[in-house]
Amino acid sequence: MDSITTAASVVAAGLAVGLGAIGPGIGQGSAAQGAVEGIARQPEAEGKIRGTLLLSFAFMESLTIYGLVVALVLLFANPFAG
Amino acid sequence: MIDSPGLCRELRCLVCKTTSHYHQGTPIGGIFVASETVENCSSHDPLLDIDSSDSSSGVDTDEYLELQFRVLRLAFLLTIFSVGIAGFFWGTQASASLLVGALSGIFYFRLLARGVGRLGTSSKIVGKVQLLVPVFLVLLSSRFPQLDLIPALLGFLLYKPALIIQFLLMP
Repeated sequence: MDSITTAASVVAAGLAVGLGAIGPGIGQGSAAQGAVEGIARQPEAEGKIRGTLLLSFAFMESLTIYGLVVALVLLFANPFAG
Repeated sequence: MIDSPGLCRELRCLVCKTTSHYHQGTPIGGIFVASETVENCSSHDPLLDIDSSDSSSGVDTDEYLELQFRVLRLAFLLTIFSVGIAGFFWGTQASASLLVGALSGIFYFRLLARGVGRLGTSSKIVGKVQLLVPVFLVLLSSRFPQLDLIPALLGFLLYKPALIIQFLLMP
């Protein structure tokens, strides 16, 4: 792998993780805030709120995982490496 | 008989005040009656039982555990089905990679569920430990030639169809 491909892969891996984590991070924070407020306001619905929070976290965090996987593939199994 | 959770909480505060008030020497009868009432109240409503809500898991609601169990059972069923199909069409190596990825995905979901269960009780944030699971999966598949990367990643994402099915089945 030549040096330009290596440098581009490292930069792209950093961008993939960094940019891919912004949106899910904001979304998870606001979702957790709403869930904790909901549990505090209505403790008898804790199970339902936590279940919905778990499902939404799993969907949100998969976006981060996509960026992470792209970054890891670029770093450890780069398809552009000659 | 006390039914309302708010009333139970008020009664618990009242007991604390009563206990601290009568602790200095006056009769114990008031304390005894109030404590007995709170015991009855907490036995009827487990959400108000402070001792059980401070357990290690952090969540004592059966509904949340039941949801986790349903999603994990569905993910296991999907894993068995997809591993069988992959083994039939693409061979043993692809099905083994898919199996490793699917088990990693189930482990990731279990860690995520544990983090969500602790949220608000023993932790203020959701942990990010579960994100190490796909990292180790990619590292494993890049180190060992017996594992293919694409089937392992597809297997890792097998928990998502289980989540979608569970989300559609929720009332």
